[in-house]
Amino acid sequence: MSDDGPPPGNMYLYDNCTPPLLDGSYRFDVSTATTIDARDQNLPSAVNYFNVEGPRFTLSPALVAGVFPPRNGHGSFQDNLPHIALGRRTLPWERALDPSNLIGTPKHRQGDPPSPVGPPPWMALLLFEEGEYTILQNQKLQDVVPPDVFQRLGRPANITCDAVQSTLPLVTSIMPSVEELTVLANVRQVNKEDRELAAGSGDGWFSVVMSNRVPAPNAKFCACLVSLEERSDIVPADPPPDASIFGLPPHDVAPVVAAGNPQPFQLAASGPQITAGHLVSHTGTSIGTARTPVLVGIDKFPFHRVVTLVLLYSWKFECIGPGSFRDLMQGLNVAMFGTVADPGHPPVADTGHIKISLGDRAGVEETVLYRSPLAPFQLTRDDKGPYHSADQCRRVTPETGAEDVTYACAFEVGRLLAAADPRLAQELMRWRREAFRQSARGDTFKAVSAAIPLPQPIDVHTPAVPVVAAGATERMLTGRSPSADPYSFNPIQQVIGLNAAAVKDTWGLSSNEEAVAILGGNAGTIGASVTAPPATSRPATTIDAVAADTASLKNLSSARDRLIANAAQKLGGKP
Amino acid sequence: MRLAWVKSKDALRLRMTQPQQVAQGEPEAEMPPYMESFLASLRLLIGVPFEYLVPDPRLLPDESIRFFYLDRSWADRVVDGAVAVGKIGTREQAHHQAHAPAVQQQLDVTERIVRQIQMRKGPFGDLKSANDSDPATNGTAQVITGFLLRSAAVSGWPAMDVRAYSVDIPEILQPWTADAQKAQLKTLRLERLSPSVMIALFQGIPQLVTIEEPHHGVQFGVEPVFGGFQIDERGPDGNKVKVGTPPNQKTKPVPVHVRQSNSRVLSIASLRRALFQVPAADHLPPQTGGASFAVEVLNPPWRQRFEGTQDNAGPAGQQSSGFLSSISIAVRVTNDATKVALQSALQSGVPK
Repeated sequence: MSDDGPPPGNMYLYDNCTPPLLDGSYRFDVSTATTIDARDQNLPSAVNYFNVEGPRFTLSPALVAGVFPPRNGHGSFQDNLPHIALGRRTLPWERALDPSNLIGTPKHRQGDPPSPVGPPPWMALLLFEEGEYTILQNQKLQDVVPPDVFQRLGRPANITCDAVQSTLPLVTSIMPSVEELTVLANVRQVNKEDRELAAGSGDGWFSVVMSNRVPAPNAKFCACLVSLEERSDIVPADPPPDASIFGLPPHDVAPVVAAGNPQPFQLAASGPQITAGHLVSHTGTSIGTARTPVLVGIDKFPFHRVVTLVLLYSWKFECIGPGSFRDLMQGLNVAMFGTVADPGHPPVADTGHIKISLGDRAGVEETVLYRSPLAPFQLTRDDKGPYHSADQCRRVTPETGAEDVTYACAFEVGRLLAAADPRLAQELMRWRREAFRQSARGDTFKAVSAAIPLPQPIDVHTPAVPVVAAGATERMLTGRSPSADPYSFNPIQQVIGLNAAAVKDTWGLSSNEEAVAILGGNAGTIGASVTAPPATSRPATTIDAVAADTASLKNLSSARDRLIANAAQKLGGKP
Repeated sequence: MRLAWVKSKDALRLRMTQPQQVAQGEPEAEMPPYMESFLASLRLLIGVPFEYLVPDPRLLPDESIRFFYLDRSWADRVVDGAVAVGKIGTREQAHHQAHAPAVQQQLDVTERIVRQIQMRKGPFGDLKSANDSDPATNGTAQVITGFLLRSAAVSGWPAMDVRAYSVDIPEILQPWTADAQKAQLKTLRLERLSPSVMIALFQGIPQLVTIEEPHHGVQFGVEPVFGGFQIDERGPDGNKVKVGTPPNQKTKPVPVHVRQSNSRVLSIASLRRALFQVPAADHLPPQTGGASFAVEVLNPPWRQRFEGTQDNAGPAGQQSSGFLSSISIAVRVTNDATKVALQSALQSGVPK
């Protein structure tokens, strides 16, 4: 089963979708068989209990994804089978309809289709006409179901539920048989890309339960989703006989025993995946009211035994007048925005503006123009933004002199919506604060870089401390470089009398050369640079090479001897 | 005393002479995610009170649909107003002034993922980076159009399918084909504003807008015929089985039996039996269970088409109200004859 869902406009239908475990109480026994040295030494076993719970006697309205005909709807629904879409795909199969198989096996005749795949659902959608039913609220469960059913349900205590009550002949006449129940429920998966957003639209999976009764025209109906769990007293194995219309004889073939029981546990949805594609409207279908029923049912049974069923969900609708989706859509008044049914009420200007009254700052009522953001024609986008206050957006129309507050209104709406959201205000401040902070950092770095020569430029996004520290450390290690001016020629040059530029400025000379001439020639000669003699380059040598040089060693030895002789002489002639 | 590296006076001057504070490419210039998604949703008028959209209730009467162009300037002003919160001085103003073009440009791109955010398709960061890097969606702003629909259909048929197309595709329109998907305009917003009012926004100017009955509520039904009901055979794809050569094709009806005890209760078992006995040449889905049965009793969802510039369905002279738009994007097309026939049928109760 793919979870990608069908392509747009398609849906997939599945026969059913059974949960891995039915609702109920479960016990699991754990035992571990251990054999040591060919002797059984089993570990202690354990017994645990758990419940799988789901809706049973009540159904949360949140699980109902949709109903048709619409709740309290009016329309010509007489050709439609009512159905209910449930937001949980496994819901109709989460309980067993008849776990002890009291209903029996349906008879199969020659030419019958094989039994439908999968277990029957535990719920059915029954359609009652106004007057055929009574809805009872907050009933005790034991008052709703017969005693034997209550017994089989496990005698749950303190359960109250809603119920629907009707006569036995009526319920018998509309109750689907077991196989019909199976066929009337299915699962569908729809594409949800192009759908309006609605709460509970969920994952695109729905289970659907259909009714087998078609509403009659001009009547009120109530569709009731009822629980049939353990109701073997009213769910028949075989449907009641058909009316012989179209001249067809009723069934007359000998029964054939059905194939095996439905599989109780199935892990995944089974059944064929059917693409119900191409769901286009079919136009041209003649719509008419259905005829009066030809046959009279056996509703008017002489005595009325009452049947009560657990009611999970119900809704009412009226089968009257035009009201189908198609009729509503066909009846829509279509126009561009700004079109009014009665021209001039309200008066809409050519530009799409309408007049509204406004209390201005001074408290004076004035009539101003306003246009909704929904315009009947394409407008050019104002590129003079951004605007910083609502007043900046106020305009006056040249023709009438009336004020146009359209954009001022827009500005105020935005401001109020934003102010109503504390988080947005925080984020706005954060947005600005980050920018301001980085900008301040940048300025500081600029000043630091100007003051301290740094080995590399500092970036606001990288930590600055290591870079500055590296620059400082480097300078400390290299130490202060040798003085460039050991004899202090530079200060001497700054002396007024020796500084040609100063002399020029002081005396207002026309050029530097003139000042140089007055000072006595080329001032540059004072600070002539002296180059040091180049050092003799010597090859690198080793101590062994030095030791091997016997001539030099001899020189050194003689020098030593001389020194010793000199010393001895000075000390009195003794070596 | 050591002097500060930067005096506050200098710092302020520096920042005022550099109003953008940080360059556009810097990460600090980017809007925080929450702010960006909030402003992008304001662009699509999300949260704007209904009175601002429809200042007079008569502009959107009951059972009406009104198409429109979204006023971009209006949406920009809403965003300006939102950014104005906390703008307490010239410094913030200068900052906004300098960054507004970039903010506008970014929102033009981000407004395209607002619907994905609403549908909770993923975290904002992932959606944004995918959207920003996709050449199909990171282009410049386009015209936004849409419609407001006030109808009992909105409340009665929740989650209907709405699509807009840039070309007028004739029926049979198959939304899942490559051609149709290429022509489909991006739906920017599709939401119910109140139980009976729906708003839709599309990117681009549509030539065709379709509204379909919700698919999860696809109906089931039967056709009434004299004395009972019938259905038409449908193949596994939900299409009716047709026989004959194209001009004279006919559907194949299957009679639907009713119970003897109640003439409006369909005999599901007999119908299933009848479907089972249909010749294999018709290629019906095998009658295994609920799904194949549902296909046969399907009533496909109604698709309403809005196209062209003429209202072919409403009473004459209804559009004489002050102005007629130069490009009116959508007015319903239905066959006049069908409409009249339908109305008279419903009024008299007898099909003509």
